[in-house]
Amino acid sequence: MQWVVATAAFLASAVEFVEAFTIVLVVGVTVNWRSALLGALAAAATLALLVATLGVALVQWVPIDALRLVIGVLLLLFGLKWLKNAIMRYAGLKARHDEEAIYEENRAQLRARGAVDASASRFDLFGFLLSYKSVLLEGLEVAFIVITFGLSAATSTVSRSEGITSAALGALLAGLLVILVGAFVRIPLAKVPENTLKFVVGIMLTTFGTFWTGEAFSVVWPLSDVFLLILAAIYLVAAFSLIVWLKRVKKQQRAQVIENQSAPTTVQRQEVNP
Amino acid sequence: MKIIKAIYNFIVGDMVILIGVALAVTVLALINNVGALAPLKGFSGPFLIIAVLASLVATLSREAFSS
Repeated sequence: MQWVVATAAFLASAVEFVEAFTIVLVVGVTVNWRSALLGALAAAATLALLVATLGVALVQWVPIDALRLVIGVLLLLFGLKWLKNAIMRYAGLKARHDEEAIYEENRAQLRARGAVDASASRFDLFGFLLSYKSVLLEGLEVAFIVITFGLSAATSTVSRSEGITSAALGALLAGLLVILVGAFVRIPLAKVPENTLKFVVGIMLTTFGTFWTGEAFSVVWPLSDVFLLILAAIYLVAAFSLIVWLKRVKKQQRAQVIENQSAPTTVQRQEVNP
Repeated sequence: MKIIKAIYNFIVGDMVILIGVALAVTVLALINNVGALAPLKGFSGPFLIIAVLASLVATLSREAFSS
């Protein structure tokens, strides 16, 4: 067992697992757990197939930059759409669609009819794909970490397979730890209001999308993966500023409508009492 | 046509966001591949962030002022 390699692989993989798990978690909470877990499992199966067929050659054959670009752009598009809708709801430009109330209402109706409630576990393509591509990309990065760390540890005394096994064990431990922590976070997250969750998901998807698209174009982000937090903070500040601005615009528009409505009334009064 | 519209609605459903992101990616691809634009490589990151924010502001402005 190569402890240095295992520790390095553990730390590097933990970052990737956290990124993948965060997206699976929000898909599970905002869409449904069935689609989130199916997406994650399908990605794990694709990864297993890739690793089994390509093995160490995976590093040479999978175009990670092209994959980052496709997934990054898709996440940017999804993220901006969610963020836009959430901002509009906060600013009052769109009705706050309380899906939880609708869901509860539907459930009550189904129960009253004696039907089985399937809406909670209904398969959702959007949730499935979001979970699938995030786990696939991050999983590939973990595979790359394991292979490169494992191979770099191979010396005259340590074999290649021993290096890769140590790195794989470190990565496996990181994955299990992230899943364990996530399982505890899941319950409090479910109590957060729907629009707040969608707002956070929008911020996160836009953040990851920007980060991966940038990486695909060889952008070297300062502080590496820690820059994700800075990016999220930038988008958060921008989103709050936009909400404040839109609220002000809506207020002005409402005031103008009231002014326009009251103007003819004044003229009419003047005509009656000259 | 229906399939293309369904995919468009599924992925983004907003022309301003789509055009904004497509433009940003095109400019980044040019900076990355055209030799004459190589000195701008250092600005790729900030440019991408600004482009994303500009797309968001543009689409929200359209929604706010069209209503």
